Amino acid sequence: MKKIFQKNRIITTISILILLTIWKIVSIIYHSELILPSPELTFLTTIKLFTTKDFIYIIGSTIFRGIIGFILSFLLGVLLGIFAGINSSFHAFLKPILVTIRSTPVISLILLALIWFKVDMVPVFIAFLTMFPFICTNVIDGIRNVDHDLVEMARIYKISQIKIVKEVYLPAITPFIFSGASSAMGFGWRAIIIGEVLSQPRYGIGTFMQTAQTYLLVNQVIAWTIVAVLISYLFEIIIRKIEQRIVIWK
Amino acid sequence: MSLKISNINKSFHDFTIYSDFSLEIPEHTISCILGPSGCGKTTLLNMMSKTIHPDSGHFYGFDEKIISYIFQEPRLLPWKTVRENISFILKDKEPGKIVDKYLQLVELENFADFYPAKLSGGMKQRVAIARAFAYPSDIILMDEPLKTLDFKLKQNLMKSFRKIWQFDKRTVVFVTHDIDEALLLGNDIFVFSKAPVQIIEQFKINGSSTERSLESTEMAELKKQVLKIME
Repeated sequence: MKKIFQKNRIITTISILILLTIWKIVSIIYHSELILPSPELTFLTTIKLFTTKDFIYIIGSTIFRGIIGFILSFLLGVLLGIFAGINSSFHAFLKPILVTIRSTPVISLILLALIWFKVDMVPVFIAFLTMFPFICTNVIDGIRNVDHDLVEMARIYKISQIKIVKEVYLPAITPFIFSGASSAMGFGWRAIIIGEVLSQPRYGIGTFMQTAQTYLLVNQVIAWTIVAVLISYLFEIIIRKIEQRIVIWK
Repeated sequence: MSLKISNINKSFHDFTIYSDFSLEIPEHTISCILGPSGCGKTTLLNMMSKTIHPDSGHFYGFDEKIISYIFQEPRLLPWKTVRENISFILKDKEPGKIVDKYLQLVELENFADFYPAKLSGGMKQRVAIARAFAYPSDIILMDEPLKTLDFKLKQNLMKSFRKIWQFDKRTVVFVTHDIDEALLLGNDIFVFSKAPVQIIEQFKINGSSTERSLESTEMAELKKQVLKIME
């Protein structure tokens, strides 16, 4: 097991190195910072970003929007998901809403949000709409996967409905909630940054990416992208750590 | 006062399982219902526990009784430890003592803080037995709880069960298709036919079940008779 793990790690490293080499070669061929700066320059730019005066505010704002959007979609997603999972009529009611949200292009949502909301609200709204269906759908799946035998056992022992929801349904769907949260976050960050690019709040990764793009500072666009990837990765790890803490019974 | 099942009818679609069926179950003994697989034994237990309802007929004496149930599978909550699984079904504010008492009777006191995933099949079923007895029930319904276990585990589990029952003599309705189990555990044995169910035979086995052995001539003779009836 450990051997396989080590072997895979070597392969991953090789894959990254190949990617960097291709990047380097292409940047030599084009020989223009305006089109594709070299990996080293981009790396330096990224490091420099961290020391920018407003760096903390910029990534702080983006993360803050992400967290607010996530909390909203998490609360509503879990709540509505549980109802829809237990009550099939409510599921029938919710289903077209979820499908509509999921199949609407993010850009349409942003354009509408730009008309409806204040600039700062747009990315939050977008984050909410992209994340909510993931969490809700996963919770519904989770409820449907609850072992009916356990629920029957609880009913025979005259356990109250509230206790059944709290101590049978909720723990049973916890792994589903986490996997929903994880995919939601993955898509959420992307949506937030698109939202920031288009709505241009004062601070935000998207705002600064857009500025860099306007001045053809490709190295900065890529540097901000790297920052965005790091944030997304960090939250993925956080979610996984929390899951390991909570789902200890496996 | 005993428990009476009187003139019940139950069909699933066009398949009649019970037609004008009656049965009287004595209290504070172990009643074994012995019958072929799929004859409707589980259906009868489910009607006693009101999980399903008969098409017509009455269950007398069941309404005021509290029921606990031991299923074919342990049905433990995977996210609760052994201790938490038992206290989950108890209404007491401090269930600790009761839980300890019954865990001791099934010899699992050292596993109180284990999650079910860490226990063997037989241990899980012993937790289920402890749970059924820890619940302040009048009647314990058992639906072939030994079915999925191998011979040795079956013996151990029957031992656990008899020990705990000697200590706490509740009304038990035990359903099985295994003659040996019925002969070893039952006080009153009801032999069921295929659906629509009729009681083909009904007999008593006297004496404490702790001292019974299938090897005794008496038991061997009885087993022969029952096998003949069931053919």
